[in-house]
Amino acid sequence: MRDVVVFVEHSGAQTRKVTFELAAEAQRLADALGGKAHAVVVGGGSAELAKQLQNHPLDKIHYSDDADVDKFLLDPQVDYLEAVAKAVGPCVILVPNTMLGRDIAGRIAGRLNAGLTSDVTELRVEGGQVQCVAPKLQGSTITTCAFKNADYGVITVRPNAFAAAPHATGAELIALEKPSGKAYGMAIESDVEEASGEIGLEEAAVVVSGGRGMGGPQPFETLLKPLADALGGAVGASRAAADAGWVPYSLQIGQTGKIVSPQLYIAVGISGAIQHKVGMQTAATIVAINRDGTVPIGETADLLVVGDLFQIVPALTLLVQKAKAAHA
Amino acid sequence: MKIVVTVKLVPDAGAVKRIDPATKRLMRTGVETALNPFDEYAIEAALQLKERLADDSTVTIFTMAPESSKETLRKALAMGADDAVMLSDPALEGSDAVVTSYAMAQALKKIGFDLILSGALSDDGNTGGVPGALAEYLGVPGLTNVRKIEEAGGGRIKAQRETDTGYQVVTGPLPALVTVTMAVGEPRYASLKGIMGAKKKTIDTLSVSDAAIDRPVGSDGAKTEVVAIAAPKAREKARVVEAADGESGAQAIFDFLRERKLV
Repeated sequence: MRDVVVFVEHSGAQTRKVTFELAAEAQRLADALGGKAHAVVVGGGSAELAKQLQNHPLDKIHYSDDADVDKFLLDPQVDYLEAVAKAVGPCVILVPNTMLGRDIAGRIAGRLNAGLTSDVTELRVEGGQVQCVAPKLQGSTITTCAFKNADYGVITVRPNAFAAAPHATGAELIALEKPSGKAYGMAIESDVEEASGEIGLEEAAVVVSGGRGMGGPQPFETLLKPLADALGGAVGASRAAADAGWVPYSLQIGQTGKIVSPQLYIAVGISGAIQHKVGMQTAATIVAINRDGTVPIGETADLLVVGDLFQIVPALTLLVQKAKAAHA
Repeated sequence: MKIVVTVKLVPDAGAVKRIDPATKRLMRTGVETALNPFDEYAIEAALQLKERLADDSTVTIFTMAPESSKETLRKALAMGADDAVMLSDPALEGSDAVVTSYAMAQALKKIGFDLILSGALSDDGNTGGVPGALAEYLGVPGLTNVRKIEEAGGGRIKAQRETDTGYQVVTGPLPALVTVTMAVGEPRYASLKGIMGAKKKTIDTLSVSDAAIDRPVGSDGAKTEVVAIAAPKAREKARVVEAADGESGAQAIFDFLRERKLV
């Protein structure tokens, strides 16, 4: 496992931020292993995205501006990734631990009979081998995993676990051949957008989340959104809020939803069940606002303010907005 | 249509989880097992589909687990599934996600299926990698994070799949493997009649050789190994501020964020 391959997740026009974090980490690992760092970017818009990736620490960027990729679910992406992995292998493949990334990781691991390890927050090279550190069992244990019996290791990496390190590298661009003669299974008939702008939730530096204490859908719009906007962050929610139908499930943070690891997490009206904590406990700083001073989130938070969220949140938004305006 | 729901038996969510320091594996003895909560949604989706089709479709529950956890499967049968099959063999102990997927695939090929349903994640491992790897080993298309099966039958499936920003409508051929999210609907409770009936339903057991598993499995075949375990860094106890009013509460947070250079 000398080389390191990064799977690039993008929306056609834009590369997801986590890819740049993976690129920096891939280069660091590749240097320690004595190998090369590769990226694979496929789908419509990839030629342009590949050029942009040349501003990140990578040796080779494999791309295919193949719009057919976007018409089907996963299969073509897995085919391209497999082709690159086999061409450079044995290798380690880094995939973002996102909804798409987890799918890709399972598929490519099965395809290559690879080792698979998930939601990794730290990577090391020991004796020429990659080791993966990840919180497990609802964050109660930190495990370190190594690969064995396999030429390939697939790792899903938590967004925000690593810092991006952009600089012009002029990495070599390699156009990929379209896999031929393959019949793809699942076709995407239509794509419906319900909540725009939330794509960055897993990657946002600041997440402002609401729970049962919000009392309904409206305060998410009128209270949390303005605070998140003022802090340059994204809005999330607890399962209780999603189950109540106040926000779409795509905003849900926790074991059954998204796992976030921002610089700042503000939990508003969230009591902090273990299932929720799993999704946010690695945030660098956690602030909680709750009426009840004995809520479990107090065990995870750095600051717990006991009071009325309906008064505190707008006042805080004003303070942040004023501070921003003073700086501008 | 033969619908197979793959379920995972996990330690009860409320149970204190301990790692065996020697094997670095989760200690399962003495810990109550439960159906992975996400898989209950898959059972619900399967039963809904069977009811909708109203033909001779069947729902089979499948799991890879020690035989001792047979009773947990009765819960799935009590919800209304027709029968269950277990892949049980001491040789499987210590299998990781990919080896588990391979072993499950071999057993599922033996059982036969038109549609495999499972939960999108497991409550304990939280890998989310098994469905994808399983689809690969079965050689069938995978369709993940489905919130609604619109149509299934006649060799085709049409479903709504959740995405980061909404959903996609996806169509494809059967047989296929589909994972569902909690949006498919609350799992039903087992009725008394269901609970009584479940006692009479068959639970077949397959061994490694029954399932024609011809590669190393268990810890010998695993492609990952845990080399170290540690406790997470303890967080300092929260600073608690009782806010007299909105302004003072907001100011306390603002000052704290300033201190940490977050605003």
